[in-house]
Amino acid sequence: MKLLSWLVIGGALLSAALAPVLGAQGKPLTVTGVRGLTFGAVFPGVPLAVTRTDPANSGQFDIKGPNQSQVLLTFILPLTMTGPAGAQMPLAFGSSDAGYSQSQAIGSQVGFDPKQPFTATLSNNGRGSVFVGGTANPAPNQRAGAYTAVLTLTVTVLP
Amino acid sequence: MRTSKLSLAVLALVVIGASAAQAQTNNATITATAHVQTPINVLGAQALDFQNVFPGVIKVVPATDLAFAGRFDVTGQVSAPVTLSFTLPATLSFGANTMPIDSYTGIHADNGSQTGGTAFNPVTGASPSLSATGGLFVWIGARVVPATNQAQGTYTASVTMTVVY
Repeated sequence: MKLLSWLVIGGALLSAALAPVLGAQGKPLTVTGVRGLTFGAVFPGVPLAVTRTDPANSGQFDIKGPNQSQVLLTFILPLTMTGPAGAQMPLAFGSSDAGYSQSQAIGSQVGFDPKQPFTATLSNNGRGSVFVGGTANPAPNQRAGAYTAVLTLTVTVLP
Repeated sequence: MRTSKLSLAVLALVVIGASAAQAQTNNATITATAHVQTPINVLGAQALDFQNVFPGVIKVVPATDLAFAGRFDVTGQVSAPVTLSFTLPATLSFGANTMPIDSYTGIHADNGSQTGGTAFNPVTGASPSLSATGGLFVWIGARVVPATNQAQGTYTASVTMTVVY
């Protein structure tokens, strides 16, 4: 009986250790930032939009997880980009600036609002991609230089 | 009996572990990047000066007149295309007196001597590019048509040029 208890304790510890990385089907959930959101050259006073279907400049995340599982996609989006000497440039995201593709093809996305959580289903082999666009809004007197910001996508496998 | 209780407790842990496994979360980040170009700066460098005008005698200052044509100096991002637009007065004013301006001419060039300059109509504007050093020079000429009984005085008006990328 003591041996049985130890075996069960071991199982419990193993289960707890694997909980953060393994799903119900035993596949780990991974999220990878594949491509940054690139605005390129921006002129003061001229808004510049990058669409989520832009194959070169849209941002992209790839997701791997349990086959056909439902996942909740949640963005943390910056309001501004930061440039030289702390200069700020407004960054805006529209109600269809994010897209989800189960096939991971940029041409077959379902648009969604990146400011709201979105429920998606991973493919039969447990994959999916999220694409994101946005609009940079430089002021007429925007300081010249390089600007950056960080976008975070959090993915949660739903029970 | 003690052993059984321990087993039950451990089983509870297993169940909790299984539940936690279904709520797994992960995240990743990407970077948004942009390169803001040099802002445009426009300077009214020289007034459009008709000098002495006589009643009934039309006076023209061509845009090619480096001494008396109006001139704007523009600086901004190297080689960037820009759009020029103008607010052009139809008259010069001296108190309640006015004197018509019936036409305008324009030239833009990437140097201050008009070498290789391009003529344009200020009424419709122009779309040149800034030079390899980020500069642009724009001259404005015009024609005034004083009446034969034009009141004597100094007549003025403002010409505004707007430059956008």
